[in-house]
Amino acid sequence: MKSGEGLKNVKRMSVPFAPVFNWSVGNWMEQFFDGLKQKKILASKCAACGRVYLPPRMICERCFDKTEEWVELPETGTVETYTMAHVGVADNGELEDLPEPQIIAMVKHDGADTCMAVRVDAQDCNVGLRVKAVWNAEPDGVLDALSAYRALD
Amino acid sequence: MEREVAIIGYAQTPYEEDADASREILVLRAAREALASAGLSRDDIGTVITANNDYLDGRTISNMRLVEPSGACLKDESKVEMDGAYAALYALMRLLSGFHDVAMVIGESQASVYPTYAPGVMTLDPTWDRQRGLLNEVSAAALQARSYMNTYGISEEQIAAVAAKNLGNAVKNPLALRAVPGATVEQVMGSRMLCSPIREMCAWPATDGACAIVLAAGDVARKANRAAWIRGVGFYHDSYLTERPLDKMTSLKMAADKCYAMAGIEHPEVEIDLAEISELFAHEELMAYEALGFCAEGKGGEFIDSGATRMDGILPVNPSGGVLAANAVCAAGLARLAEAAMQITGEAGDHQVKGVKTALAHGQTGLCAQENIVYVLGGE
Amino acid sequence: MRDVAVVGVGLSKHVSKRRDVNIPELVWEGVSAAYEDAGITPRDLDGIITGNMPAFEGVNLPELWGAGHWGAYNKPVLRITTGGTTGGSVGHGAFYAVASGLMDTVIAIAFEKQSDGDSTAGLNTVAVADMAPFLSYGIDPAFMLAFGGGAVGVAVYQASSYMKRSGCTPHHLDKVSVLCRTNAAKNPAAHLKQPGLTPEEVARTALMQYPLRFGHVCPASDGACAMILTTAEKAKKLTDKPAFIRSVASCSEEGALVGIAAAGTANTDPCAQEGCKVAAANAYRKAGIKEPRQEIDLAEPYAPFAHQLLMFYERLLLCDEGEAPSILDSGSMELDGALPVCPSGGVISTNAIGASALERIAEAALQIMGKAGEHQVEKDVHKAVAHGWGGAVNLNVVAVLADTPTPRG
Repeated sequence: MKSGEGLKNVKRMSVPFAPVFNWSVGNWMEQFFDGLKQKKILASKCAACGRVYLPPRMICERCFDKTEEWVELPETGTVETYTMAHVGVADNGELEDLPEPQIIAMVKHDGADTCMAVRVDAQDCNVGLRVKAVWNAEPDGVLDALSAYRALD
Repeated sequence: MEREVAIIGYAQTPYEEDADASREILVLRAAREALASAGLSRDDIGTVITANNDYLDGRTISNMRLVEPSGACLKDESKVEMDGAYAALYALMRLLSGFHDVAMVIGESQASVYPTYAPGVMTLDPTWDRQRGLLNEVSAAALQARSYMNTYGISEEQIAAVAAKNLGNAVKNPLALRAVPGATVEQVMGSRMLCSPIREMCAWPATDGACAIVLAAGDVARKANRAAWIRGVGFYHDSYLTERPLDKMTSLKMAADKCYAMAGIEHPEVEIDLAEISELFAHEELMAYEALGFCAEGKGGEFIDSGATRMDGILPVNPSGGVLAANAVCAAGLARLAEAAMQITGEAGDHQVKGVKTALAHGQTGLCAQENIVYVLGGE
Repeated sequence: MRDVAVVGVGLSKHVSKRRDVNIPELVWEGVSAAYEDAGITPRDLDGIITGNMPAFEGVNLPELWGAGHWGAYNKPVLRITTGGTTGGSVGHGAFYAVASGLMDTVIAIAFEKQSDGDSTAGLNTVAVADMAPFLSYGIDPAFMLAFGGGAVGVAVYQASSYMKRSGCTPHHLDKVSVLCRTNAAKNPAAHLKQPGLTPEEVARTALMQYPLRFGHVCPASDGACAMILTTAEKAKKLTDKPAFIRSVASCSEEGALVGIAAAGTANTDPCAQEGCKVAAANAYRKAGIKEPRQEIDLAEPYAPFAHQLLMFYERLLLCDEGEAPSILDSGSMELDGALPVCPSGGVISTNAIGASALERIAEAALQIMGKAGEHQVEKDVHKAVAHGWGGAVNLNVVAVLADTPTPRG
């Protein structure tokens, strides 16, 4: 048998177990999540350089200091960049067509120095579009607290 | 640099959608062929560095079964879990230290055995972005592309021109996976939209394959059949994708500046004869033109329009077809290095560009090209 | 080549579950301690070398998300991962980065947050490639998982083989655990601290699989280790007493998992560890050490399982094969002994897997610098050897450290 021959099926052997992960979110993200539960957008701020992290980070990467200050940010922000997504990644790790194309945007909340990737519900999205967070009426857990952002009138 | 180091051998397997071989066999083929091209035997190899990723290989410690096929048995072996161009960097460090004289560097991955887009999703912040299900390699690249287009007024056609050029070049590269004879901008623009503005032909194809190079220092390099000398290297890390501007490649610019300083290059657009760039998505090649100093900031679109980077242009980029033609993930940047070396030694075959004395190779790791590495290679 | 010095070491506390911090935050604890110990900030840094066992936490390339917490802003980052040897490989990478002349000052960062993940599943994926030959022999993969999956499955065969070859008894295994866990009690970073532990207590712990009892096996820890390396010239400005890494060497063998290698090459006795001997010999030679038995003052072998402390003591060429059990009996391996072994408490007391092999180098450095605190050994440490082990029982990494650079000429 030549090397490599007959290996095709073996290559497709799958792993007969699925690992379970339980990531600790850390105190900074926990505070952020507590805020979301109360419909508040909490960011952490570096006392040294004033940089505001949303989602919060324990360490300001520029100053290497702990971000000890907390600021509540408005629900409004600006689209820094966006895409109309026609595909997403399915559970099997491959691309799949989305039932409906959706707008995904990097939104910089007013007062923040970093972006959050969020869904935007708008006819036309463009860079610079002013948007506002929309709270999910019946969130499926805290990670689902924010619904698609809407364009500000 | 403390010692002179050269690429003295290289090999790539054909890039395929579904290679009829295990990854061990792919690595064995690449390693043997690279050794043969260097005119060396396994005994001559002092150290072996592989580039692979546990998620791409679907197993922990993805290097441990590559010991035998990579020729590393009873040798000083290690693994870089990044693009293969970083494995070459680690090998280079080992040679420069004086501890080793000859290194084998191998990158491999087999998209046909792993869920293609899962490893990218798994790099996201697991406490937030990964849970939200919005970001992945394609949507993140689309956000980057839109940001770049918006800041500098780049058009979709200019991005498509990159894909048309590279997929057209790939026709002359017998190893390429995706080659489109006479590829046109219209053809690219007509391909399926994934996440605007990224279309199918502007995104990397899932690929199986391996690439190996042999690095040598000092006397071994001087006596070798061929040598593409490493004149400079630079590599930098950028912030997480939501914490940095996406409209420019800051870490690539820093890497290039560092590399050029080491190589003594002051005017890259004139001094570099050819570049092999890891453009996972077409727009990244335009962004790279700027970061690499081939053109002014914001002028990537005009630069491709000028024809400068065509095979017959003043600064051909990706005559191999680049990553858009084949992306065996951990081999991709290493293949750029191999291709750049082949151009210098005059062994690139049908896609050889004439008179290449100084060539640049680029590799990247992470969503939106978060980490970048740049090499400058030279002839004698 | 250039001389390379360790000028700072930082360790997070190691415990079973750190639910109050996420991965980058946990790692920050070790990293910031290292910067403080060296008296530098990330601004002084030329690069970061990092690694962990990615499959364990389910986060691919975690530095892409987290390295901002470690001082990586606009710095070069190189990720090196090799399984159990990861920390050692990261340390080696940091050594080469400085020795190469490409960088002056680097930080080596290695970590694991095992409580976030599923390390047994992670370890079982080690066995995935071995299923191919198993299937070809008609063996059910489910049997494979029950039989050889996870590190304990491999270790028991190695332990039995070592005991047969060396005359090591179960009582020696108990004594190894006592040596390590009582040392760990003096190490604030250690995980399992058992002051006053007796061999009898270890012998009463439950048997996992002969010959290994619970008391002979490492815990799963959350923890991080960081180490700052720089040139000899820069080290002079930072400290009066750096520890020099004189040499590093690794050696990779054919894989062996319960005796059957996926590559179909060999049935290897998992206790032979030829690669460790090759790596040790190369490392000593490059370090200018001719008689390791006389010259080495301290050893930090990588021993998540009790027998491995003795086995690797031998494979690190510190005595003849089969001699280690009697050397243990002599008391020479104690903190006040002639050649103290695992004064840190070793991997059997603390195992944040990706960090463990770097912690061996870090401990050797601390002992040479005289900064080990309560677990500082009694003798002056001039030369020490640090080791890491992993893969499919087939990867070994060795570093030799000293209070002076390698003599030239």
